[in-house]
Amino acid sequence: MARHDDGVITVGRSRTGTFFANATGIVFGLIMIFPVYWVLNTAFKPDSEVRSFTPTFWPHDFTLDNFKSALGEELFIPSMINGLIITAMAVAAALVVGFLAALAIARFSFYGRKAIILVVLAVQLVPFLALLIPLFLMLQSANLTNSLVGVALVYLVLLLPYTVWTLRGFISGIPRELDEAAMIDGCTRAQVFWRIILPLTGPGLVATSVYGFIQAWNEFIIINTLNDPKNQNLMAWLLYNQTERGTAWGPLMAGAIITSIPVVVFFLLIQRNIATGLTAGAVKG
Amino acid sequence: MHAVDSRPAPAQAPQATPPKPVKRVRSRGQRDSGVAWLLSLPTLLILVAMLGYPLYRMIVLSFQNMRLRELFSGATPPWAGVDQYTKALTDSVFWGVVARTAGFTVVSVTLSVLAGLGIALLMRRVTRGVRMFMMIAMMFVWALPQLVAAQAFRWLTDSDFGVLNYVLTQLGLDYDTHSWFVNPWEGWAVITALVVWAGIPFLAISLSAGLTQVPKELLEAATVDGANPWQSLRNITLPILKPLLMIVTTLSVIWNFGLFTQNWALRDGHPEPVYQTLATYSYTQAFGRSIYSYGSAISVITVLLMLGVMVFYIRQMFKIGEVD
Repeated sequence: MARHDDGVITVGRSRTGTFFANATGIVFGLIMIFPVYWVLNTAFKPDSEVRSFTPTFWPHDFTLDNFKSALGEELFIPSMINGLIITAMAVAAALVVGFLAALAIARFSFYGRKAIILVVLAVQLVPFLALLIPLFLMLQSANLTNSLVGVALVYLVLLLPYTVWTLRGFISGIPRELDEAAMIDGCTRAQVFWRIILPLTGPGLVATSVYGFIQAWNEFIIINTLNDPKNQNLMAWLLYNQTERGTAWGPLMAGAIITSIPVVVFFLLIQRNIATGLTAGAVKG
Repeated sequence: MHAVDSRPAPAQAPQATPPKPVKRVRSRGQRDSGVAWLLSLPTLLILVAMLGYPLYRMIVLSFQNMRLRELFSGATPPWAGVDQYTKALTDSVFWGVVARTAGFTVVSVTLSVLAGLGIALLMRRVTRGVRMFMMIAMMFVWALPQLVAAQAFRWLTDSDFGVLNYVLTQLGLDYDTHSWFVNPWEGWAVITALVVWAGIPFLAISLSAGLTQVPKELLEAATVDGANPWQSLRNITLPILKPLLMIVTTLSVIWNFGLFTQNWALRDGHPEPVYQTLATYSYTQAFGRSIYSYGSAISVITVLLMLGVMVFYIRQMFKIGEVD
């Protein structure tokens, strides 16, 4: 007799069910990865293979020429360094500032809490690009246009509401009973923070900073509007590069890969943390 | 964390005996109010200076008539009253953009959230190796920058050398040198596919992390009591997942309503009228045609349109907040 317990992990399952689930999972994974594979495939092909009416599903004449021509561009390395500096500044600031606010919203009940939540939620809906004109005027009067700090400030505001809101969710996910139990055992509020909330929010902090990194690294419209070509990040460089070359797909895909590498590496380093449960087993003791 | 650190011992001074729990909670609440505001202060200051003030300037701008001349000279733009709004609200092109943006948002968010939830549930069912493969595939997609992903899809759907046309032609369909952006429905199908494909990893992985918070004991107990998988999903998993589901859905609505990068990049930075969304339309008016005030007015209307979603969202959040 078949057992109907699909929702349960630990108890036995039907074999056919597992087979179909696995097959669906594999097909899904292949569809997801195909565009990524195609970028890689194109980048390692010579131009004759790229511009072929019969696409080859792997590079027959493996070449690194596309990467050489992308890396050889004058502003490529400076753009990469700019992007790293801006992203690091924005993410670090958003995490520190946002975590404090998230802690306040998640763990304290106080007059004005709802107002703060309202503000954090509401500002996420502001179409940020529309603020570019007033932001440009403001940064210009503060001598912060065409500067990395100016862009980092704008990115900080871009990341902050989401950071606060997501961290709030992670902190709320930690049972209050843990706080209370620790305080009954003699912990001060600070100890509760350092020993319980911060460690349990670890995966949340990682997930949030990953998201922040991606947001800041991927942005190109704001930096493109605020800064000169010499102070762009890699993404904006990619946009420039594309328009100059028209559709030279090989070098474009090679440049795209180099641009994506920091994000991908960062991701693979922390991917284990993203998916781990946040409080699994914490209350069971 | 000095703000938290400096908190003195619980109020015990008035009474020698241990205070009643109710009183302790109250006095803590009062002291906490100050700490909480202190913690929130940096965030609030940044938001006011870098978002609130520009927002105010944007609203003022939408009632003026600022063009390139005022931008360079720094002169105060002439007052225009509600002219910009009248212009937008009586323009059928503008309403077309609104309808297009809303339609795209509904379709793309529905598809992404359903797919994300399905994948998250599927990941609990598959064997370890397959789950790992799915995770790795999604990680790469998630890691791929929006602009790069858009370029990848532009290349996949290239009319001459794109692999999509090749595969469809091999399958016996007439897609040789087919251009995907001549027919707006097909073009939007490509854009939607791109947005859903790129959105699935965040949704599936977040929801999958949320699913680990569903107590296994509860699901096992339900199974023992004779609940089928659908009943377990509806009555146990989804209610527990609901707060997270609401957050990710609303975030998807916000992101997709503000669609810019994908249609911008797929149309080479010059989206045709049928590929304009509110975000690109406003940007094009301001920075392409240098009518900054009209662009601002469109943005203000966009915010007002989102107010409905915002109110719904915030009400949901507070409802859940009470359950917390």
